[in-house]
Amino acid sequence: MNKDSIWIGEKDLNRDEDFLATVDQEFGTAELLQNADSVVEKDTNRRDFLKFLGFGLGAATVAAGCDIPVKRAIPYVVKPDSIVPGVATYYASSYVAGGDYCPILVKCREGRPIKIEGNDLSPMTNGGTSARAQAAVLSLYDINRYREPQILGESGFATASWGDLDQTVKSKLAASKNIRIVTNTILSPTSKKLLNDFQAKYPNTKVVTYDPVSAAALLEANDQSFGDRVVPGYHFDKASVIVSFNADFLGTWVSPVEFAADYIKGRKINPKNPKMSRHVQIESHMSMTGSNADQRVLVKPSEQGAAIAFLHSKIAGGAGGTGLNDKAKAALTQIAAELKSAGSRGLVVSGSNNVSEQILVNSINNAIGAYGTTLTFSDASLQRQGDERQVDALISEIEGGRVDTVIVWGANPAYDYCKAEAFANAMAKVNTKIALAYQPNETTALCNVVAPTHHGLESWGDAQPKRGELSLIQPTISPLFNTRQAEESLMAWAGINVSGDQPYLGYLKNNWKNGLFNGQSGFAFSGSFWDNALRDGVAKGGAGSRAGSFSANVSGALSSISRPSGNELEVVFFEPVSIGNGQFSSNPWLQEMPDPVARTSWGNYLAIPVNYDGGKKFLGMNNLKDGDLAQITIGGKSMTVPVVQQFGMAPGTVGLALGYGRSAAGKCGTGVGVNVNNCLTYQAGLSQYYNTDVAVSTKVGKEDHFSCVQYHHTIGVKATNNDGERINADEATLGQTAYGVGLTGYQGSLTERSIIYPTTVKDLPESIARLHGKQAEFDHLNEATLYPYDEYTENKYKQGHHWGMHVDLNSCIGCNACTVACMAENNVPVVGKKEVSRHHEMTWLRIDRYYFGDAENPNTVYQPMMCQHCDNAPCENVCPVNATNHSSEGLNQMAYNRCVGTRYCANNCPYKVRRFNWLDYTTADIFPANQPAMAPGEAVPFGADNLTRMVLNPDVTVRARGVIEKCSFCVQRLQEGKLTAKREGRRLQDSDVRSACQTACPTGAITFGDRNNKNGELSKKLASPMNYIVLDEINVRSSVTYTMKVVNKESLDS
Amino acid sequence: MLNLSKITLILALGLLPFFLSAEPTLDAGKNLFKNNCAQCHAKNMKSAATGPALGGVQERWGDYPESDLYSWIRNSQALVAKGHPRAVEIYNEYNKSVMQAFPNLTDDDIASLLLYIDGVYAGVYPPKVPGAVDDTAGVAAASSTPTWLYYALFGFLGFLALILARIISNLNVIAAAKEGADYEQKTLLQTLTSKGVISFLLFAAVILGGYTTVNNAINLGRQQGYAPQQPIKFSHETHAGLHKIDCQYCHDGARRSKHAVIPAANTCMNCHRAIKVGSSYGTAELTKIYASIGYNPSDNTYIKDYEKMDQAQLKEIYTKWIADNYIARNQLEEINKEGEKEVEAQWDGIVSSLTNEQKTTVQGPIEWIRIHNLPDHVYFNHSQHVAVGKLECQNCHGTVEEMEVMTQHSPLSMGWCINCHRETEVKFDGNEYYKSYEKYHNELASGDKEKVTVEDIGGLECQKCHY
Repeated sequence: MNKDSIWIGEKDLNRDEDFLATVDQEFGTAELLQNADSVVEKDTNRRDFLKFLGFGLGAATVAAGCDIPVKRAIPYVVKPDSIVPGVATYYASSYVAGGDYCPILVKCREGRPIKIEGNDLSPMTNGGTSARAQAAVLSLYDINRYREPQILGESGFATASWGDLDQTVKSKLAASKNIRIVTNTILSPTSKKLLNDFQAKYPNTKVVTYDPVSAAALLEANDQSFGDRVVPGYHFDKASVIVSFNADFLGTWVSPVEFAADYIKGRKINPKNPKMSRHVQIESHMSMTGSNADQRVLVKPSEQGAAIAFLHSKIAGGAGGTGLNDKAKAALTQIAAELKSAGSRGLVVSGSNNVSEQILVNSINNAIGAYGTTLTFSDASLQRQGDERQVDALISEIEGGRVDTVIVWGANPAYDYCKAEAFANAMAKVNTKIALAYQPNETTALCNVVAPTHHGLESWGDAQPKRGELSLIQPTISPLFNTRQAEESLMAWAGINVSGDQPYLGYLKNNWKNGLFNGQSGFAFSGSFWDNALRDGVAKGGAGSRAGSFSANVSGALSSISRPSGNELEVVFFEPVSIGNGQFSSNPWLQEMPDPVARTSWGNYLAIPVNYDGGKKFLGMNNLKDGDLAQITIGGKSMTVPVVQQFGMAPGTVGLALGYGRSAAGKCGTGVGVNVNNCLTYQAGLSQYYNTDVAVSTKVGKEDHFSCVQYHHTIGVKATNNDGERINADEATLGQTAYGVGLTGYQGSLTERSIIYPTTVKDLPESIARLHGKQAEFDHLNEATLYPYDEYTENKYKQGHHWGMHVDLNSCIGCNACTVACMAENNVPVVGKKEVSRHHEMTWLRIDRYYFGDAENPNTVYQPMMCQHCDNAPCENVCPVNATNHSSEGLNQMAYNRCVGTRYCANNCPYKVRRFNWLDYTTADIFPANQPAMAPGEAVPFGADNLTRMVLNPDVTVRARGVIEKCSFCVQRLQEGKLTAKREGRRLQDSDVRSACQTACPTGAITFGDRNNKNGELSKKLASPMNYIVLDEINVRSSVTYTMKVVNKESLDS
Repeated sequence: MLNLSKITLILALGLLPFFLSAEPTLDAGKNLFKNNCAQCHAKNMKSAATGPALGGVQERWGDYPESDLYSWIRNSQALVAKGHPRAVEIYNEYNKSVMQAFPNLTDDDIASLLLYIDGVYAGVYPPKVPGAVDDTAGVAAASSTPTWLYYALFGFLGFLALILARIISNLNVIAAAKEGADYEQKTLLQTLTSKGVISFLLFAAVILGGYTTVNNAINLGRQQGYAPQQPIKFSHETHAGLHKIDCQYCHDGARRSKHAVIPAANTCMNCHRAIKVGSSYGTAELTKIYASIGYNPSDNTYIKDYEKMDQAQLKEIYTKWIADNYIARNQLEEINKEGEKEVEAQWDGIVSSLTNEQKTTVQGPIEWIRIHNLPDHVYFNHSQHVAVGKLECQNCHGTVEEMEVMTQHSPLSMGWCINCHRETEVKFDGNEYYKSYEKYHNELASGDKEKVTVEDIGGLECQKCHY
């Protein structure tokens, strides 16, 4: 295969006719249009036209006769000093959800949180965020929240007062013999202290902690190896060779934002001295982390143990690796050599939930001397503390009749615990079941008292994500409903009194003053310790380590690893980057966010391997195609799932995401996808995220709304093949391929066009030279114009500002934090599954995922694609009403109120970044009849109710039906930044103008700035010889520059 | 030829209504009314307020000489004291509340006032302004040329056209007769119903209709001159004009935010903790602020748990304050019947001003009527204009310091914005930010450019205001 080949999926490689038709027709095929909403009048004729004309005139006349409604201006009664209406205030806080942690700044307008930014004072994340952290602000305004305390009566739950609830609970607790509190990982040292105090009051209390996706084996292995039951501190920045056994450390595993920031430090490449870390991923399905790896070694899920043992044998000696496939053996042998030579700068991580396998991983790390450099215990992570065996123990205790009260705090074991059904059955036998929950879920349905808790953005709290790192949570809005902080409820029930309006704040402050203050050395007074932590959001403190030297029963471990099953087919379950194991199901932003790799949204799709048949076709397993429904039977449980063909799957493996199929996750999460938590297997009581007893049928149907955005908005272009025929450029698939598919003379499926330039570290100088050669060619083509660009630029853009963006494709890991941040910042509507399946997703910023290299085990590159703000923009020329035009600062402006919806611009956009409001997604339209029915029985679309609308950014217009919208380079931020500089009478700085995607990015892949500022960050980035412009050859003079993608492997084909 | 003259005539008659305008003294009357009468008399002239509805006042005084009405307006109490039957009747009807004396009004002033009152009553004045919630809204630009002159002119021209047409027609007949041709002279009716005239009329109707529709459509949502009645009769004239309080003392957002900010009640309290009785309305208006924020002016304290009180408790507190003041002002021993009425009326005023369909409690914010409304798709930032552009507030808001009732001075239309951006010079001097416009600086230095306007730095581009 041509080593420059890139492709986006199977349809692309196979030149699928339907797909090509879709590419050709900007707005989808006839099939999609038939699926249209009933409000779209299809057979409009002359009479209808006259009717509408008459109605229009009539409406205008009536409107002209009407008075303008009286609007009121309502000031504060007593204005808080900190609020100036129209000016945003930022509060440092922390995003904590179970073990997930991200230090954040909360942007508030008029006392209303509207946007989450990263906190760049944090040494862990340096200001990065994740999609989940970005989306947290939307969950604050979730219509599915509890609004009042609830007590189960004879006819279901009834609203109660807090006084009644406290009285009921207290009397039950006092009479209880045994109380169990079920939680996920608790990061807060103060909450833990409170639980101790609670236990002091009710000595028969025990805390049961588990995690929705378990890392219990990792904790157990470190306990057995070092006597320290923690996740060690990983230092991906210090590692030159990273070997990951199915640990999705960039997407979901333990602390992805922190790891991504560290990881990318070793991945940035200097073209003058090309060097980068090497990352090998041994996995069964393509995870987000795996897609970023230089090399992927494909093993079936049950082979993981053998693979670890094999690597162990090559490094620490001994035997191991029985049953492992030969390809993997060969690859691992070479990796072992690399790890050995990296020595202390090597790092092996594993997502395995088998204690023995984790011990072997520790042993490998110990053998190469990684402890002390890439692995440390002094800053061990506390982000996973759970152990599902504790819940098992709880269930048997309940079965034995020994527990009469269960308090479930924040957790949802009736869904995300691996034996959810057993838990639910056991709960039926418990006398008093109290839920401290934020919104209804499967577990609250089993309880008889619900004490609704605040959202994190309404709460006080603290967190200790790592040893030595502390973090504060402060409320950014008054509680919206009659809820109460969980800790405050526990205080009330345990009779712990701290005076003041906010008892838990007092308790927290006391703990910081009397407890945490003693464990820090930065401040002499507890007051300043607290004040600084409150201002900065983060603080140093709580250091310490219990780890000894490595001593574990390695030979014992070798004998109890998982064994390859030998079955033909296995299924691997993985945590999706978006919604976790269902914890974030009710968040529409996260539901609509496509999976980074499969690019599916609104559901879990069965990832099936694509096989090359040796002829000309790439076939999905069982001849299944994207969007087909297949019957999958796992351990006797049968379900129907839609299928997506996935490159880079281990042969004989299918993948399915956890976290879907929730039965009580509100309006947007209930019934989306299928639940596979009950399909997990167990080893020594620990859940294993795969199953070897699986069968997949052939096609049993077609998914109604296949909402995979993979083939949407493809940069599809026409070209001429060698025979002089006009063809879809995407048809020219594999160039000169080893498989004989495709045509000669093309770079890849996406032709000899400037889209992606993959290369290896070794080939970098050569590739740069080749790139420059191409660019010279493009320049030659582009010079043939009547309007010399440079002359024009000189007059137009050389003073004031000329905005530009740089995207480093080597840093982009595809996490989608920018996509969600963009939706939050720019009021981008959520359109729902059906609309996504009709190519109507509204995201201004999408992350295109391309494959390159070996078709059976390809490398991946992510390309964030937003409006390129071309200085010679094709969209601008075709607008009949001049609704889109160019600013003197180089912005491609979109005036919504001027747009009449011809969509000519979207048709003419080579990058396919313009979005059309097909329906009234926001209910901004003045005629209510234009509102679409988004789901059966729903009156308003997602986000159009008054509560959810509180999240809207008041500086950005909410678009109505019938207008085009697109990335504006966050023009509201640019204008604000310029104004700040003007008011302060100084030149504009880089820090004044940062786009939402840039601030959200955990790896610093996006740099925005003023190209005229020669000393700015952007100018420095633009100087790199690895830069190129997408579709450079068509002379649109875009303002966004990308870098070549470099991978650290021998050659792209291998 | 015949048609041409008729076209002129028809055009003249057709356009006539567009030149209709108000009598010259109506405007003076409006100003006088606003400054002197509007505090007590309803502005629609049809409903009673503190004082009676003024519409039809001349008919009601029709039995007496006109001078009686004039002296009643100047000093009603004098007329009551004289025992004028109509004066005594009104005085009793309105519970013996005393109408303020206006000894300075000239006869002309009163004539203007009466004209204005009659104009409003009859619905002739003011011309309807879309969006006005109150009949007093709208300051129509009145032409100073008398309307009858137009009528006379058009009448004359029409007459001339007719004569000319007739002459031409007669000449045609004569010419035809001379040539021996048979010429049938058309009657006027025939001419008016001819194809040409009807076509022209249709054409003119379409053009005029289109013109009016477009103009009206453009004006949709615009409310220049909008001056609704506010819940509190706050006078910018008193505060900004007489007492010279800086605009930004209250509108403190103007220099740092997109919003100028309607001041919170606690801003009012900065002064009105001390000034508890107003110069124009006594306790009637200021007590509204106290009732909003929960301040007890009788003992100068903020009321505890104010939010939880019911209306009866509030009434007790504030009617006591109003009554005490009434007693003090009128030097009474204890409250009299009139006083009770007055107190009751003031309390009712407080309740009706501070509550509406959405807001049912007296406690809480004062809900002002928003005057300056921009469409949702327009981004406007005060601080850009005030702090950076260094514009005076009056540039856009007019002479607010002379407004008793706040009025929208500018059209706030896009054309108006754009015009200003075209003309206004950017304040380059002393602002380091603008150093990035090197080319302009060079051109200014070399004299190639006289000034740099907002337009020059992109002030007319869509996404400066629409995003």
